[in-house]
Amino acid sequence: MRTINFAKRNFKEIIRDPLSIVFAIALPLFLLFIFQQIKIPNEAYNIENFTPGIVVFSFSFITLFTAMLVAKDRTSSLLIRLSVSPMKAVEYILGYIISIIPIILLQNVLFYILAIILGLKFTISVVFAIFVSILVSIIFIALGILIGSIFSEKASSGISSIVVQFVCFTSGMYFSADMLGETFAKVCKYLPFEPAVNIIKAVMNNNYEFVTLENVIVFIIYTIISLVLSSIMFKKKMTSDNK
Amino acid sequence: MLAIETNNLTKKYKDMTAVNGINLEIKEGELFALLGTNGAGKTTTIKMLSTLIYPSSGVAKILGNDIIEDRQKIKEILNVSPQETAIAPNLSVKENLEFMAGVYEVKNKEEKINELVEMFKLNEVLSKKAKSLSGGWQRKLSIAISLINDPKILFLDEPTLGLDVIARKELWKVVEKLKGKITIILTTHYMEEAESLSDRVGIMSKGNIMEVGTTDELIKKSGAKNFEDAFVKIATGGEVE
Repeated sequence: MRTINFAKRNFKEIIRDPLSIVFAIALPLFLLFIFQQIKIPNEAYNIENFTPGIVVFSFSFITLFTAMLVAKDRTSSLLIRLSVSPMKAVEYILGYIISIIPIILLQNVLFYILAIILGLKFTISVVFAIFVSILVSIIFIALGILIGSIFSEKASSGISSIVVQFVCFTSGMYFSADMLGETFAKVCKYLPFEPAVNIIKAVMNNNYEFVTLENVIVFIIYTIISLVLSSIMFKKKMTSDNK
Repeated sequence: MLAIETNNLTKKYKDMTAVNGINLEIKEGELFALLGTNGAGKTTTIKMLSTLIYPSSGVAKILGNDIIEDRQKIKEILNVSPQETAIAPNLSVKENLEFMAGVYEVKNKEEKINELVEMFKLNEVLSKKAKSLSGGWQRKLSIAISLINDPKILFLDEPTLGLDVIARKELWKVVEKLKGKITIILTTHYMEEAESLSDRVGIMSKGNIMEVGTTDELIKKSGAKNFEDAFVKIATGGEVE
């Protein structure tokens, strides 16, 4: 119950300061629209391939505003008050994750509506892809909590911007990683962003040739590591911030 | 039973000793003012007693519960109003109270909120966002929130810092209403606040408790004319009179 209570508070804080959400939704929507208007002779830009990329790209903005929310909370005395309360670290982490899921859902629904308008065929797989995207988003929220736990609000936005760039270059959303050589392709394979795109792409297209077992394992390992690290770091910083 | 009992409570940061083996005994229902100059160790003491930080050594008990071993139990029975106003800025006054009632899983939530709204006269600002309130209202809300779980022990860390005279006097009235019902540990830089509100005062300097007593006892003991002079004399070890 404490988790839901904290999630409700976070959600209200987020939607009442909506600039970052607008950015996290409007920019990817714009990119999805504009890249479908230019006929780029690369299959990465086909609506079936590009939409999952845009979904993952939008999650990097979730990392950005989760990081800022956590960093802002850390600097406020509210967290001192909460540190004195019986709330546990795991309740904070879950509270942050749950509060962001409605925004993820909104992002996804809007992206898929636009993608369908732009020519994506609607099947039940699109609905499944939305559910899978929610699971995929957890790593991005956890990364946001991790960044927000370590850095100040100002630094968090800078560091999160690096994540945004990283997603662009290593997820394969704009170009296949092979284009930059074998080594780069190998690195991308063992980072979580390309597997994230592949998982959503496979579910959305109901074509599991897009994803490998290795992709799934790499992604799950990164998600678990991010969750554990964010919990440890958040708890550690809550104590050290109070010194 | 004593509300708070410390034995050689110490907090060290590398080479710096913030709190140096203090021994305190605070009775249940007492309003105890902790005074001292900046850096005397008041806030560090409060942070240790309120489970925010761990002590380096020594023992402290809150209503018989050890602050390390019984940490989770202690968290249920105390609350803190930190130096800076601790409120959720984008939530309304009512939502702030509801949120913290949820954090403490208060059973009679509505009843408790109504009681606090009445006690702090929050009705006129109930639907306003906390960030839009004046400093005085924010501080009132912050203190109201700290009573949401009916704490047996309440730490008020410089509750009237930066408030104008009227807002300060209004808060004093509220604190006076709480006197005797719960144990309050108050830190303040305002001597008249300590004099007017507290049952006993502890004066800290450089991490040590220099003296403990009623304001009259401390004036008498120091041979000063008034409490402010007594405080200066005790806090500086007689170097400044």
